[in-house]
Amino acid sequence: MASVAETVTPAPIVVHRHWWRGRLVQVTGIVALMYVAYRAWAIEYPWPNDLVWNSLSLHLDDFQVWLLTERGKEDQSIVFTVFEGFSSAIDHLVEWFNRLLLWLTWVGTTVAGVALIFRFGGLRAATIMLFAFAAFALTGLWEESMQTLALMLVSVGLSLLVGIPLGVAAGRSAGFRRAIAPVLDAMQIVPAFAYLMPVAILFSIGPAAAVVSTMIYAIPPAIRITALGVRGVPVSTVEAATSMGATRMQLIGKVQLPLARRMILLGVNQTILFALSMVVIAGLIGGGGLGAVVTSGLYSNPALAILAGLAIVIIAMALDRSTEAIAEQTDPAHRHLDETRKRRLRLQTLAIVGTIVAGVGISKAFGAAGAYPDEAGNPPHTATIEEWLLTKIQVVLDYVQDPTTWVFAITERVGIFILQQLLLPLQEFLMEAPWFTTVAGLTAIAFVVSGLRPALTTLAMLGSIGFTGIWALAMDTLSQVLVATAIAVAIGVVLGVLAAESNRFSKVMRPVNDLLQTLPQLVYIIPFIYLMPVSIVPGSVAGVLYAFPVTLRLVERGVRDVAPTSVEAASAFGASRRQVLTKVKLPLAGDAVMLGVNQAIIMVLALVVIGGLVGSGGLGYEVAQGLVRGQFGQGVIASVAILALGIALDRVTQGTRRSRKEGIA
Amino acid sequence: MLLVPDWPGDRVDRTGEPLIRADGVWKIFGRREDRIIGTPAAELSRAELRAQTGCVIAVRDVSIRVWPGEVFVVMGLSGSGKSTLARTLIRLIEPTAGRILIAGMEVTAASPAELRQLRRHMVSMVFQHFGLLAHRTVIENMAFGLEVQGVQRNERLARAREMLRLVGLEESESSFPDQLSGGMQQRVGVARAFAVDPKVMLYDEPFSALDPLIRRDMQDEICRLQVETEKTMIFITHDLPEALRLGDRIAIMRDGQIVQLGTPEELVGSPADEYVANFTRDIPKSHVLTLRWVMREPVPEDSTDGPKLDVTTTVRRALPALAAGEKPVCAVEDGRVVGIVDRATVLQAIADERGD
Repeated sequence: MASVAETVTPAPIVVHRHWWRGRLVQVTGIVALMYVAYRAWAIEYPWPNDLVWNSLSLHLDDFQVWLLTERGKEDQSIVFTVFEGFSSAIDHLVEWFNRLLLWLTWVGTTVAGVALIFRFGGLRAATIMLFAFAAFALTGLWEESMQTLALMLVSVGLSLLVGIPLGVAAGRSAGFRRAIAPVLDAMQIVPAFAYLMPVAILFSIGPAAAVVSTMIYAIPPAIRITALGVRGVPVSTVEAATSMGATRMQLIGKVQLPLARRMILLGVNQTILFALSMVVIAGLIGGGGLGAVVTSGLYSNPALAILAGLAIVIIAMALDRSTEAIAEQTDPAHRHLDETRKRRLRLQTLAIVGTIVAGVGISKAFGAAGAYPDEAGNPPHTATIEEWLLTKIQVVLDYVQDPTTWVFAITERVGIFILQQLLLPLQEFLMEAPWFTTVAGLTAIAFVVSGLRPALTTLAMLGSIGFTGIWALAMDTLSQVLVATAIAVAIGVVLGVLAAESNRFSKVMRPVNDLLQTLPQLVYIIPFIYLMPVSIVPGSVAGVLYAFPVTLRLVERGVRDVAPTSVEAASAFGASRRQVLTKVKLPLAGDAVMLGVNQAIIMVLALVVIGGLVGSGGLGYEVAQGLVRGQFGQGVIASVAILALGIALDRVTQGTRRSRKEGIA
Repeated sequence: MLLVPDWPGDRVDRTGEPLIRADGVWKIFGRREDRIIGTPAAELSRAELRAQTGCVIAVRDVSIRVWPGEVFVVMGLSGSGKSTLARTLIRLIEPTAGRILIAGMEVTAASPAELRQLRRHMVSMVFQHFGLLAHRTVIENMAFGLEVQGVQRNERLARAREMLRLVGLEESESSFPDQLSGGMQQRVGVARAFAVDPKVMLYDEPFSALDPLIRRDMQDEICRLQVETEKTMIFITHDLPEALRLGDRIAIMRDGQIVQLGTPEELVGSPADEYVANFTRDIPKSHVLTLRWVMREPVPEDSTDGPKLDVTTTVRRALPALAAGEKPVCAVEDGRVVGIVDRATVLQAIADERGD
């Protein structure tokens, strides 16, 4: 009986605090002390060598050698046989899908894709899908797109195969939910870039490694949203079915799954988007397809890399809209299907199947190619279009990089300002300050902001970073993260408040937000390599762009969710709009702002480490070197440090909201 | 407004075995809640117990007996534990302690399979928020209980169609729940419960979410179904007029305990404590009290040629007979005059209604 529990929730206690007890004041104080220590002892106390496990890197290299020899042996142990079997099964699956898509021929694949989306998602979604296929053809990237699609089908399919049953279990059992929550948290906090290395070692570079690292990233949303959907099924409906003697399987199959269906499909949508955002970095460990075109073209053929990036964005948008439409349109609870409409739909399905079979049959009969033919001259105009696109992109690139144009004059100045006024001073401060004051300071901030346990976690994480011997590199990365987060939060808060106050602005920002959140991480960086070619700036600026929409959204929702009665009350006292905003709305939306900082810092970290690929240095560079040069030991250490840094930053900024929520639950 | 049902007096035969027996049922929410019963902590008030152990007592040592064909109402304010009690009867909520028997089966010791059989065939429940399946049509909702039992599709749809007629929803066969009004949705809920032909109907505040006019209709519907089908009913409500209207016997719950259990007239005529008296204060007593409650012993001088009415007639119904002539009314039980009711007594009873 819910009412019993609800009646006893204690009222929030408001305690009057002295000015020096305020969190902001305390954090400022700690930072000031850290600065004093820095001025007094700069460069005198780097992380001491006695506290470093120097041979760790060698051990890891040994481990990798051992792994390779074990794998190469004739008489493998059962563990390796299973592992290899799993790995090659995934490789084959990806390969099989890839061949299927080519076997269907480019006409057949287009017909099948568009017809299926039309049947379940409606005309609009089908049109977008058709547009996407046209884009693959005209960019001359048909084969790469099909490879990426095959990789997606396998990664998303396996993610759902794991995620949905676990999500149902988590939705049904609070105990299970609590048990897996920290694991899911960790999976989402750790930047994907950090686990490329371990996964590549375990599965060796190839499609399997790409699929596994994509799954690590894409499974959490599948589990979370499925669980949310199952929990959203009205209690009384579940109780009613139970009271009629339904078995557990009947309850799941006849009640919980159908009623959670819409949410589960939205979970599928999120899983696809998460998986797509991994396409590019999966290209680094054998994912192939468009991702590989982007990563290999970064320096050698930037126009082509950008074109492939655009193709990924188009796939993402098409799949996003399609799955969203499917989720909405096939929801049985709102569709009200009667017998006649059911019959009509069945006929429609038959017609669609017929269309697909006919489409594939005819195109095969006429000898259509597997991939869209894009060699010069056959058909003549497409090669021209591809050429044309590449030329145009190159023109834009040349223009923005031309020192005599106004664009470069602005972007270079901004880039240099960020570098000299923000990034370098902070980098110097963090890298040269005595190690113990930095550890103590960050731990103290975690304690002030989030509480004792987060502070202890932070201490442990910072300790392990130092212990593995890459303290200075981690501080380098940290300085970039902090600068980018500060800018992203500032932009996010300002735009978020504007969006909350103005419906029109909110409407304008929404598609921009959507676009920025569906882009794969690396795609953010590419433009800035050319716009602001100033050492470590591109990674940080891309991080700002990647992270501010989340802060914007959270702040907008937080400000909008402030109870209208509070706003009314303030207005009734004659408060001006600004007073209402600064004295009522923003303080009450404080939790949302804090959450915005927390999310932004995690997202920025993900991008800054990817920036290691293009000159951001720090931990990301170590991982990139490990991947490119095969320095596995050092790469794995950097990966672990990224993980530790991610957890520490999450704990420092999580605030007390989690504990507060648990108190109410 | 007529408060009591049209059936005369006590229709229920309570000489045989009760159909439902609950003995010493407890439900405590919290951690290690089973260690509380039998210790001094179990005697604490709800608030004290919560402060000391963090546990909340929802049901405290409740025992009830319900006989076949009876309408047993459990009444109380929200948080009194009445809904929890109803759920423990078929173990939708596991009781912390106590023993429950339904039709000879020990529910509290039943295996999961036995419990399913009980829920499938013996007891059906109607819920406050309906609990309909939003993704299924009305008829599929009504057939759901039979589907769960494994009844063939045609057979269960035929049975569901009968139910459709019983509750007058023939027009809405292939509608979806969200296309129906609240009252119609609850008719589906009732029909769904009746479809499996259970012996016991468990109503958990079925009409609380409906507006007052619809609620009256639905109460009439329940009375009609009760007369037609002779089910045993346990009816949970927070509405005293509803309880008086439907109940053969009413248990009033407060803080998880039964504070009074009796017929409607016992509750109104002699409330056990201030709490019950507060509830019944605004009830027009003449609607509930029977002649037995207001009559005096006959003395030889009384003339017995006045109008003769059964002792179970309510005071209100006796008014026309009193007004028609000068002579006092004779209250009759088994053909014998057992009491005299004159105008003065009746006027006094009506005067009491004003709370003077």
